[in-house]
Amino acid sequence: MQRRIVFVSLLTLVATGAAAAAVSAQDQFFLSPLTHSVSVYFNKLIGIIAGDWQGYGQLFTFLQGEWFATLFLAVIIVVPLVFLLHYLIVGAKHFDHDGEQILFFSRYARIVHFVAALSFSLLVITGLLMIFGAFFGGGIFIRSARYLHLVSAVVFVVPGLLMFFLWVRDMLPQLHDIKWMLIVGGYLSKKKKPVPAGKFNAGQKMYFWFATVGGAVMAYSGYLIWGFGASLDTVRVYAMVHNILGMGIVAFYLTHVYMSVFAIAGSLESMKTGYKPKEEVDILHSRYNYR
Amino acid sequence: MARMKFLCDVERCIDCSGCVVACKEGNHVPVGVNRRRVITLNEGKPGEKSISVSCMHCSDAPCIAVCPVDAIYQRDDGIVLVSKKTCIGCGYCFMACPFGAPQFPSSGFFGARGAMDKCTMCAGGPEENFSEEEHKLYGQNRIAEGKVPLCAGMCATRALLAGDADVVADVYRQRVFQRGSGVNAWGWSTAYKKD
Amino acid sequence: MTNSLNDMRHAKSMIFIGSNPPEAHPVAMQHVLHAKEKNNAPIVVVDPRFTKLAAKATDFVRIRPGTDAAYMMGLINAVITNGWQDREFVDSRVSGYEEMAEVAAHYTPEVVEDITGIPAADVTRVAKLLATNRPTSLTWCMGGTQHHIGSSITRAFCILQLVLGNMGKSGGGTNIFRGHDNVQGATDMCILSHSLPAYYGLSDGAWQHWCRVWDVDYDYITSRFKEKKWMNEKGFTLARWYEGVIQEDKIHQYTPLKALFQWGCGPNSNSQYHKVKKAYDMLDLIVIVDPFPTMTAALGDKDNIYILPSSSQYETEGSVTSTSRQIQWRHKVVDPIYDSKTDYDIMAELVKRLGFADEFYKNIKQVPEDITRELGKGSLTIGYNGQSPERIKKHMENWHTFDIDDLQAKGGPCNGEYYGMPWPCWSEEHPGTPILYDISKPVMEGGLPFRNRFGRVATYVMSGREEVQLAAKGVCNPGSEEAGGYEEFKDVVPGTNWKTDLSQKTIKEALSKGMAPFGNARARCVVWTFPDQVPIHREPLHSPRPDLIEKYPTYKDKTNHYRVDTRYESEQNPELVKEFPYVITTGRMVEHMGAGAETRSNQYLAELQPEMYAEINPVTANNIGVRKGGMVVIESPEGGKITVRAKITERVDEKTIFLPFHFGGMFMGESLADKYPEGHAPFVLGEPGNIITNYGFDIITQIQATKDGLCKISAA
Repeated sequence: MQRRIVFVSLLTLVATGAAAAAVSAQDQFFLSPLTHSVSVYFNKLIGIIAGDWQGYGQLFTFLQGEWFATLFLAVIIVVPLVFLLHYLIVGAKHFDHDGEQILFFSRYARIVHFVAALSFSLLVITGLLMIFGAFFGGGIFIRSARYLHLVSAVVFVVPGLLMFFLWVRDMLPQLHDIKWMLIVGGYLSKKKKPVPAGKFNAGQKMYFWFATVGGAVMAYSGYLIWGFGASLDTVRVYAMVHNILGMGIVAFYLTHVYMSVFAIAGSLESMKTGYKPKEEVDILHSRYNYR
Repeated sequence: MARMKFLCDVERCIDCSGCVVACKEGNHVPVGVNRRRVITLNEGKPGEKSISVSCMHCSDAPCIAVCPVDAIYQRDDGIVLVSKKTCIGCGYCFMACPFGAPQFPSSGFFGARGAMDKCTMCAGGPEENFSEEEHKLYGQNRIAEGKVPLCAGMCATRALLAGDADVVADVYRQRVFQRGSGVNAWGWSTAYKKD
Repeated sequence: MTNSLNDMRHAKSMIFIGSNPPEAHPVAMQHVLHAKEKNNAPIVVVDPRFTKLAAKATDFVRIRPGTDAAYMMGLINAVITNGWQDREFVDSRVSGYEEMAEVAAHYTPEVVEDITGIPAADVTRVAKLLATNRPTSLTWCMGGTQHHIGSSITRAFCILQLVLGNMGKSGGGTNIFRGHDNVQGATDMCILSHSLPAYYGLSDGAWQHWCRVWDVDYDYITSRFKEKKWMNEKGFTLARWYEGVIQEDKIHQYTPLKALFQWGCGPNSNSQYHKVKKAYDMLDLIVIVDPFPTMTAALGDKDNIYILPSSSQYETEGSVTSTSRQIQWRHKVVDPIYDSKTDYDIMAELVKRLGFADEFYKNIKQVPEDITRELGKGSLTIGYNGQSPERIKKHMENWHTFDIDDLQAKGGPCNGEYYGMPWPCWSEEHPGTPILYDISKPVMEGGLPFRNRFGRVATYVMSGREEVQLAAKGVCNPGSEEAGGYEEFKDVVPGTNWKTDLSQKTIKEALSKGMAPFGNARARCVVWTFPDQVPIHREPLHSPRPDLIEKYPTYKDKTNHYRVDTRYESEQNPELVKEFPYVITTGRMVEHMGAGAETRSNQYLAELQPEMYAEINPVTANNIGVRKGGMVVIESPEGGKITVRAKITERVDEKTIFLPFHFGGMFMGESLADKYPEGHAPFVLGEPGNIITNYGFDIITQIQATKDGLCKISAA
């Protein structure tokens, strides 16, 4: 069962690549000797210069020109707003930090996570700066953000990979994840009732997959956009993928930040020290396998 | 105010690249950056046709729509210009452009694209007219001098027309009338849908 | 050209043969396209390649290289057999027509198809097309001339135009595009080994005429030569000068050549260029005068080369003559930069050191105006005497007053004159002659009959017929005192004729009578001094059709042809094609110019055309096993061998390989980049196409046959 789900998630990745490959295949423009229709003829000329502009070019122009910035704005406003409401209504969860502590994250995991967190945050911040570049007036500031985006991406690849192998077993979806999702991890209630989760809950798992597999897609598409490393139409598709996937990642990023900083008091501390209160583990990770 | 447009008459373009060289030489465009280029279809076969392409200075230009930093703008006379100081080299304009016009000289940072460079219709840039800075960043400002762009001025067969859209259209209309065949003005339906 | 570029706007049809103006003469194309659009003029392109002009043409005819004469005679025959000739024109202004028609009768459409590869139906169709769309403008370039029968081919072109009655008419004419901006001027000044300036030849009379012009003692000039007889002997030509050094063929001169002076000369435009290299290393002295180091500068292995940096055309001034025979003034834009000197200054320094500055500069006090004055004073044959520097400059200043269609100034200071005073411009009052041989206008208004050059009566060897060479009765320019043909003017000043009377009284006398100084005669179809009195086809020396060699053999070998024995018969080997099965032809590309020293040193042009290539048909490419982007080895029968990129294209047919000839700086696989003066190697280096061009030279002019050789090709 678990394997099948892994398979499905990998399949998504493959499908994205296949779509891109299909676009690339179209770039081979075979010219028939004589075209009598002037419009067909001009379309061919345009094809040589600007790929399938009528298709991908216009779609990209429409999305980037009209929607991407707006949607990103919506994400960074709506998501925090929801959490603000949650914080005000439900509030943070407090666990006994003086009681029994459990070593939840090894030193190695913590270092990897720290580097990942830093570079990932930079990626999100510089990415958003570019999206809203017009607001900041462009120029050297945004250009630097773009360069930093590349640096952060290169840096993130290392902990990203390490993290993937470190936690991939724990991150495999399990049946109880569905239950977790049905009750939204118990975050809608102030009660401390054990929620069904192992070392990681379904939310964390989703974020994990977004950040690693999604991150790989982001890295690859970003790499192509950076150097125009594919045909124009392929780059156009990847630019759209990069933006849309980016929205999801930003949303999860914000969630993760809220959870760790606000929703669960002291959560940040446990990522520093590696220890979590036993109470917290028993409630939020009730199926945690003590070894 | 007059609307400035380009028109390349496919029946007249002889693929001499005079426009390309005039543009580069006159504006000191670096090798590898093509503000203008000539494309040939069916080379060496019946039906061979060539066309000179650059930024068409579109109405409702897609590049302006997609620029995340609003570096590209359109003047009242329709000429689309880029502020190289604002541009971050993201390349979105290239993806949006139906004519492959935006060009990106390397900035030197890990192969990053530098500020976008494209045809200015020989109208310089946002800096002060005829200033040293304008000349350095964008090349000549012949429009401000009341001249046609270098490429069109150089075109031996008058295939490439540039200037006031009404005049350009008149010249072309007369040619089409003389030829007795209705040949489309290449790229106009894409570039100038709205006017 | 007999007409002008602008006049081509009036053509009702056009035929281009061995000419590719979009690459070689792009500026001329505006007039060609104008005629196409405005007059709905069909454009017929006859070429071995589907050129960029063919892309703009209405009719493309693919011809086997070197068979132009057969095709032309075939067209003439088709015109005659169908009764499409201009009878009135032929009867009144053409001589030797019957003899010519008899020869042309051999070239039936079927015969032409066999020789040229052009379908018989196309011969008749094109003939009809030209006949029904008169006047026709006929243009040829190097593709028509660079054959061993080049002189016959060009005559065939002219005869076609005579038969169709297209000469001397607006929109008609033989309009040969010249290669560079001042090539017409250079030709007029006869920078050649067989004539003094303005086509005076090398006779004693010619020398005496020019000595009078230069104001130099005839005996002094004679004393400059080793013996007087060398004054009248044709010299070596540009095409074969190196034989004067390497002597592979026997030379007829008291000494081999010892020094080479190349002034603005692209050396890699010489055919069999690998033989030229041998000559470089045997010479005592090589001097190159050029703004850019030419390939000579890098190719020689001996320490015998000097480079004198000359300025570009923008750094000097003077009069230049355009392809339309118009004389223009080129003003200086900037002073010469770096160490360069103008051509005038280099010449002055040389003359001073050689010790004849007094004689050289006798009439020249003000450079360059006095040069224009002096050459005008002497060049009466072609009417250079009316274009004074002042008049030329006035035309430049009033450019805008001239009409683009007929080149005439309408009002203004140059009212009634033709732009650039196209020669002949017989006097300071003459407006110039925009169209040669046009009898519809008075001579003083730019009209002109055919020249009386070859006597009053001629008897043809071929037929035994005697024919008067003067124009028929009633055929003359309006206002002519003589209503019909007349001989050239002479003895107005005793002992002189119109060409040699420096007082120009003879010319003025003719003009005052409304007559042309050079007479009013017929254009001849029979040239009794040529080996082929009427043009006929002869197979290229290196022919891909051994079966045709027997039928259309080349000439007998010629001794002392411009001082060197030249092989014809003994060179034509029917077996050669077995080893060298492909036809090699060369040509230009628009991005580069001539031998390319200048254009390959321009970064933007280098970017557009960065590499030497050979055009190969896809079928050939597959047969020899080369893929797109692969390299091929091409070898010539003379031992030339180059490795170049294959450009696979249907521009050429399966039997033909095309090479652009602009590249240089590589030599049979070796890069010469290090051998250029430091920092002066061009951006683009490539094998010269002329390493592959074959042996073969025109029987009259000795122009090299670069367009119809043989080669073999294999994948590298």
